[in-house]
Amino acid sequence: MSKAKTQQPAVIHKVIMVGSGGVGKSALTLQFMYEEFVEDYEPTKADSYRKKVVLDGEEVQIDILDTAGQEDYAAIRDNYFRSGEGFLCVFSITEQESFQATSEFREQILRVKNDDNIPFLLVGNKADLEEKRQVTAEEAQHRAQQWNVPYVETSAKTNANVDKVFYDLMREIRSRKMDASKQNNGKKIKKKDSKRKKCTIL
Amino acid sequence: MGPPPVVTGVSPRDGPPGTRIIIRGENLGNDPKDLIGLKICGVDTLMTAEWKSSKKIIARTGPGKGKGDIIVITRSGGVGSCTVGFRGFFVQIGPLQDSAVWIDETQTVLANLGRGRPSSPMISKEDEDPLGISNEGNRAKSEEEMLEHFPDASGNLTLENFSPAWYLLENHQQASFDDLKMGLSYMKRRSSQQSEGPITFAKANLSGILDCLDSLTEMCEKFAKDDIQRECINSYAVSLMQAKSCADGLFQEVLGRKDKADATRNALGVLQRFKFLFYLPLNIERNIQKEDYNLVINEYIRAKSLFEDSPIQVFQKVYKEVESQVMKFKEMLQEKLRQPNSLEEQKKLIKYLMSLDIDNDPGWGCLLSQEKWLTKLFMDCKDSNTQEIQEEVPIAPPRHKASGGSLGLSLQAESRRELQEEAPVPPPRHKTAVVSSGLSLSGELVKVTSKSSDQMAGQKFKMPQKVVFVEELTDIMGRHFPDFWKLGQAYFSGSLHKEGGDKSYKPDQNKHAQFKQMVCEILRLFSNLLRAAFLPNSLENLSEKERKMYGQWPENKRDVPGAWLPHCVRYVRSCASSLCRLDLPSDCQACVQELALDMRTNCMFTLLKQAIADVRSLHIKETWIVELDDEFGGRTQLPALFGNIVNETVQHLHEVVVQNKTGETEIFSQRPVQIEATKLCTELLQGFAPCLEQLAFSVDKPNTTSTQSADLTSGSSELVMESSEDHLPSKDKKLIIMLSNCNHTKEHLIPLLVENLNKHGYVEMNKVLRSAQETYEKLDKKLFDSYVEEKSNPIIGSMEPNMYRGRFDWANYKRVNGVRNYLKEVLMGMIEIHAEVFSISPLFVSRVMTKIVDAVAEEMSRLVQCVTKFGENGAIQARLELLALQDAVALYRSAATRKSFKEALDCLTVLTQDNKKTLEDQLNKFKMQFKFQLMCFHSDTGEISESKT
Repeated sequence: MSKAKTQQPAVIHKVIMVGSGGVGKSALTLQFMYEEFVEDYEPTKADSYRKKVVLDGEEVQIDILDTAGQEDYAAIRDNYFRSGEGFLCVFSITEQESFQATSEFREQILRVKNDDNIPFLLVGNKADLEEKRQVTAEEAQHRAQQWNVPYVETSAKTNANVDKVFYDLMREIRSRKMDASKQNNGKKIKKKDSKRKKCTIL
Repeated sequence: MGPPPVVTGVSPRDGPPGTRIIIRGENLGNDPKDLIGLKICGVDTLMTAEWKSSKKIIARTGPGKGKGDIIVITRSGGVGSCTVGFRGFFVQIGPLQDSAVWIDETQTVLANLGRGRPSSPMISKEDEDPLGISNEGNRAKSEEEMLEHFPDASGNLTLENFSPAWYLLENHQQASFDDLKMGLSYMKRRSSQQSEGPITFAKANLSGILDCLDSLTEMCEKFAKDDIQRECINSYAVSLMQAKSCADGLFQEVLGRKDKADATRNALGVLQRFKFLFYLPLNIERNIQKEDYNLVINEYIRAKSLFEDSPIQVFQKVYKEVESQVMKFKEMLQEKLRQPNSLEEQKKLIKYLMSLDIDNDPGWGCLLSQEKWLTKLFMDCKDSNTQEIQEEVPIAPPRHKASGGSLGLSLQAESRRELQEEAPVPPPRHKTAVVSSGLSLSGELVKVTSKSSDQMAGQKFKMPQKVVFVEELTDIMGRHFPDFWKLGQAYFSGSLHKEGGDKSYKPDQNKHAQFKQMVCEILRLFSNLLRAAFLPNSLENLSEKERKMYGQWPENKRDVPGAWLPHCVRYVRSCASSLCRLDLPSDCQACVQELALDMRTNCMFTLLKQAIADVRSLHIKETWIVELDDEFGGRTQLPALFGNIVNETVQHLHEVVVQNKTGETEIFSQRPVQIEATKLCTELLQGFAPCLEQLAFSVDKPNTTSTQSADLTSGSSELVMESSEDHLPSKDKKLIIMLSNCNHTKEHLIPLLVENLNKHGYVEMNKVLRSAQETYEKLDKKLFDSYVEEKSNPIIGSMEPNMYRGRFDWANYKRVNGVRNYLKEVLMGMIEIHAEVFSISPLFVSRVMTKIVDAVAEEMSRLVQCVTKFGENGAIQARLELLALQDAVALYRSAATRKSFKEALDCLTVLTQDNKKTLEDQLNKFKMQFKFQLMCFHSDTGEISESKT
């Protein structure tokens, strides 16, 4: 374990699962983390997962925050969102409402992060339940294009595309971080400016 | 060892203590037993852990606070690590919420109380932000900084001076304008939700409300329908009535029996319930027999409170029985109270009586009966003792009294009385008295002692009756009076009543005075009884009748041997001081104190008188054994005996005289006592003088016994007088011995004794010393004079005849042929005196010799002057003899001697040269001849005996 600590990679990608209640955020997470599928439903409050993965030959850590879909917890979402670096916005293809809710989440994320290009994936889960589909692929694809984000259909039950969505998101995050570090110097100056401005407001 | 466990997932990741969490990871143990440790936020929660698989454990969090690790420990993998943590926080749980853990409410509740108003529901959850905007967590500004900007404001939502600007800066500094707008709408939504409360309730329970309405209409319809068929109901009623009466008839008997059974059961129940009362008479009797009075009283009081006013006849009957028993009990207690008893016992009894609500005053009654009892005890004690004395009078022979008087101990050999319960404490003097009687050489005493010794052997020395009386009386006093007094105190302080009843009982002042009088009377009786025994004179101003009451002690027995007196005084004083400790009123105590003082004084006088008598009778103890002492000269043991008597008396009186206990009067504080004491002291010290005088001048009737025993004790250091052959020293020897004794007494003993007396607190000792010295001075002179006379007379008387022996004629003396024999005889006589004096007391030699020489010289001078005519040779002879004598006694010459010689020499004619030579030759010849004899006049050392031989 001491080894693990010393070798702990510096890079941690922080992923946040968002979406309405019961769409399968936790199922996707647990499938990705432990390759297990949990049948029984238990509403999540806020779960935390982190593990080492190899991303394109590079060892990184993925930190997954599995959030609550229920409206009860909406108030505390802001807090989570702020710390997130990338978002998996999950809806169930068998539930139209969950698809509709995604735009609310998108809005809230953009509001909190204040960044239109935040790494973001639209995920249509429960793809194994094709017979109960309420949201067509086109519909979803259309919205994704509107937002300029990728759309992926997954199944936590069959493990279809589960790894893909996480890895894709991590790549996005990584590239964002690369850009950010390039602009580091300029940003710093900007930050100072902004601080000054605020002071003057006061 | 396998790979260590790693926790990679936690669900949920935060929560209050007691949150059920699912822990996921790798290598979390092979089986439930493999899992040996689980720590969440540093708190061991293994007890709650539920092992599901090597990837999953379910547990509940402990009271950890803040973000912390989740560490799994397994037997196979050791201590694990984690990539995720758990954040514990404390939720403020309101009083209406369920909580899985114990909540420490003191802080919040007290804070709320302090604030005086309930906390706003808006902020019931700390986490919740009124704007709905997530908290950034990191505060940009510290509280102090904020205070600088807003001096009078506060960031606290609940306070009056809440400042929104502060709040926003503090909590949402980073939030964008849009966020704030969102927050505002959120706040609006929340407040509108709150106002819509009742409507939402109705909406939520719509179906229930509708159901209620439906059933109400249905019921209404049913009633309307039933109302149409009313006749039907009447017929039902009739048949029902019939059925009822029939049933009644059937069950009447059974029901009657049941009623009876119920009644019986009821009665039994009552009996059982009030068993206490029915058994009470029996119980009271039994408890009284067992003397468990407390129980009796408690039960009675309980019964009284329960049944006193009970209207039920049975209870009243039983209660009356109880009452009558309690009355008897009360009487018994009162009877008991009248008997003498210990203080505690009596207090208890009084308390019992008080708690029984007795009408009269049991405490007072007890005090009265106690007083009577005490008085009776005193009188009984007196009576029994006086009776005893009277019985003894005819039996006790007077000779014992005499011996007791002189020896200081009373031998009541014939006493038939049983031995005292307490072994009599022999008074300190006792022993010495016996010893001195053993040493005593007085034939009479020896006889008495030997006579009674065989009778004494079988019996103890019995105390004089009066001493027994004192002891008994003081014992009664010491044992019972404090109880009486304390009871009185308790009675008046009310402590007897406090516990007995709730009523605050006020003892009236009349009784207080009465009690005080009682105390005084008891004390007076006590002191007068003792006075009657010891100091009858002090009661003389009382009437005859009263004196009779206090007891009359037979006159002839009045004198308690002095040795017992301090003993008695000790008892009386200890009694007095113990009374003193009781805090008695001072006027009550006074008579006892007075008694003690009188006893002390009396004791002192008696003992001193006795000592004087002892001293005066000392002469019978003279042994005539002279002990030589370089410092003081020779003396007999008489002065030492005298000193012993005085010192012993003083020692004996020490306790009586000097040691003043608290509250006692200084014994010498009264002038008459002082004078008397001084007088007695003087007498005591002077008493020895007549004794010495008597011895010195006694024309002895020899007490043979003494000298015989004296012979036996003669040793090397003691010079036994030659008179031991005829048993007694000659008169002149006695004189010189007594002279020596007297001198020793005067010079050494008296100052010592006076100092001792002084040390023991006797007053005016200087006067005593002076008068004593004077006495001894006188005695000294008298003795000395008579001695010198005794001694010089024979010498002087024989001078003249011897001088003219052989028809000596001064005028016709033929030839000067040395000093004549008569002078030599004179010298020899003087030497003899010298030797005698020296052997007794070398100190007196010079004094005696001077006197003698003086007398001799005077006689010589007279003789020479009487000669009418001297021949030539006669003049030479006379001169020769005068000079020889002068030379010989040069050492003891006084002015008078010198004058005598001078006068004698002046009578003689002046010598021629030849005659002078002859005179010188003759003088030298005489000196040579008498060399040894003369030596004794030149040196004061003890070579005389040699020279004499």
